[in-house]
Amino acid sequence: MRQDWSNNFSDFSERASQSRWPFILAASALGGYALMRRTKTSAALAAAGVWALQRSSRATSPRRYQAKATFAINCSAEQAYSLWRDFAGLSRFLHHIDSVQVLDSQHSEWIAQGPLGKKLRWVAEIVDDQPNQRIAWRSLPGSEVETEGSVEFRPRTAGRGISVTATVQYVPPAGATGRALAMLTGRHPEFTVREDLRRFKAMLEAGEIPTVHGQSHGPRGLSGHLSRSLLRESQNATEPQAPSSHDEVVLIPEKRIA
Amino acid sequence: MKAVCWMGKEKIEVHDVPDPKILNPRDAIIRVTSTCICGSDLHLYDGYIPTLEQGDILGHEFMGEVVETGPAVNKDKLKVGDRVVVPFTIACGHCFSCEEQLWSLCDNSNPNAWVAEKMMGYSPSGLFGYTHMLGGYAGGQAQYVRVPFADVGPLKIPDGLADEQVVFLTDIFPTGYMGAENCNIRPGDTVAIWGCGPVGQFAIRSAFMLGAGRVIAIDRVPERLAMAEAGGAETLNFDEVDVMDALREMTGNIGPDSCMDAVGMEAWGHGAMFMYDRVKQAMKVSMDRPLVLRQCIQACKKGGTVSVPGVYGSFDDKIPLGAFVNKGLTMKTGQTHMMRYMQPLLERVQRGDINPAFVISHRVSLDSAPEAYRMFRDKQDQCIKVVMDPWAQAAAA
Repeated sequence: MRQDWSNNFSDFSERASQSRWPFILAASALGGYALMRRTKTSAALAAAGVWALQRSSRATSPRRYQAKATFAINCSAEQAYSLWRDFAGLSRFLHHIDSVQVLDSQHSEWIAQGPLGKKLRWVAEIVDDQPNQRIAWRSLPGSEVETEGSVEFRPRTAGRGISVTATVQYVPPAGATGRALAMLTGRHPEFTVREDLRRFKAMLEAGEIPTVHGQSHGPRGLSGHLSRSLLRESQNATEPQAPSSHDEVVLIPEKRIA
Repeated sequence: MKAVCWMGKEKIEVHDVPDPKILNPRDAIIRVTSTCICGSDLHLYDGYIPTLEQGDILGHEFMGEVVETGPAVNKDKLKVGDRVVVPFTIACGHCFSCEEQLWSLCDNSNPNAWVAEKMMGYSPSGLFGYTHMLGGYAGGQAQYVRVPFADVGPLKIPDGLADEQVVFLTDIFPTGYMGAENCNIRPGDTVAIWGCGPVGQFAIRSAFMLGAGRVIAIDRVPERLAMAEAGGAETLNFDEVDVMDALREMTGNIGPDSCMDAVGMEAWGHGAMFMYDRVKQAMKVSMDRPLVLRQCIQACKKGGTVSVPGVYGSFDDKIPLGAFVNKGLTMKTGQTHMMRYMQPLLERVQRGDINPAFVISHRVSLDSAPEAYRMFRDKQDQCIKVVMDPWAQAAAA
């Protein structure tokens, strides 16, 4: 009982803290009062008003992550629909998903990497399936992660391929902070969804997703490793897709020649 | 295997590194027989282009023999044992850009497309050995290279042609040719070309192939001006004459029909505008020195065309947009759409129209790469173009 009450309260305060209006109102009230009174007290209140205004403009962690992206793809709606509808293969281009296992014609179990190495799991049901037009899915009620998503395929003008729009929405597991959700969805949700669609496009047009992961290079040194971590390219890198590339690389010791 | 690695600004080292492997189904592995240093590699050497990482393997002009192919490579197009030249741009063959023959703009060959999109709006194709913004692909100044989308780019070379006759099909010959094509040359036109480096040399000869009546070549290095004259150009040495006055005089106060910038971001010149560029570059406020581009716009005939094969990296200052607009100019540019030109230019070589080997000034082993980069950058020893053999042993000291 007590747990429920405090959860409800923290829900309320979190929702309140997301909204900027309380802070803007507080700032205006304090600022207005300060202008009228012109005493040391009112100066202090004015300072508090400035703080409140600043707080309102600072990004607060949203409870509900929503992102959408649209890509033009040089293929038919049938090809795109078929590739997406095979849910078992979704993790090839949805990078924040570890795997999807198809349970029956309407249900699938999704596994994703959550915060602190924990695996998040949920079962999704298909709520809309219009061949070559739209697929929509949603996690079952009571799931650890509340999520829904949809993908739409529309023809482009002059027969130049199709336009694909993917929309995804996540609500984090109970008690999780916004930052933990960011780990689930990647850098930020718009980036993740856009890059997922880019990979989907590459699979349809090129048959594979471009990658340099596992290629040859010289000694990276401190500078090389620093630049790599600053660019964060490995966060969005794709695993090589040729069967033989799954063998271990045998590294010969690096040796400078000239 | 041996590979030429970028270790920092003006720091090139040859290292023993793992052999490349097939990573994706459409890959092939090439055993490199000849590989060259490009003028645009010098922008990497001088540290002007961002997103290079210590340890990156350089090189985008290479050719050799196919030693391994991935499971999805079309065997009718490419198989083990084929001798090929490999274009420096990487293209998938099936995106909107590739289907429109805009090969250097492929949508699917840059794994770091999101980085390029931040800078440019949308990403061009990936390139070999040319920064992580353009894919981070290991380059071909090495003994082996991994080539993605191997049935799209590599061009098979028939027997009877030496490496040095065809290796420039990997970049600079098509680049000079597309630069000339982008001049919109009508028969008898006058074309002014800034830059008598290897690309400029091919641009001069290509301009004549495309019907130019007169080519005026601009540089300051004596051996490069001489090579330009050997290609039929009239030359201007900008250390000795005022180029703008000379062009006005030579064209009867009309200006050249087309002006080509075959120099790019590390232009060298005189005067206040050049000093402005140098200072901004030194302060890291600007990446480029667009001196030549400004001259091209100013010098060009009204209604003429400015062609820009020269490489630029970023946002540039003081471009005479007023002149560009009020004279009604056209600008055509872009990284070379390689697959459009490689086969036709190979046929020209086979027919004997041109022997591209004329541009080579130095043949060295891969081990000499550190010295070769410095020599090429500083134009020492009459250096014009360096070709490296990855399998030759370095000469004993």
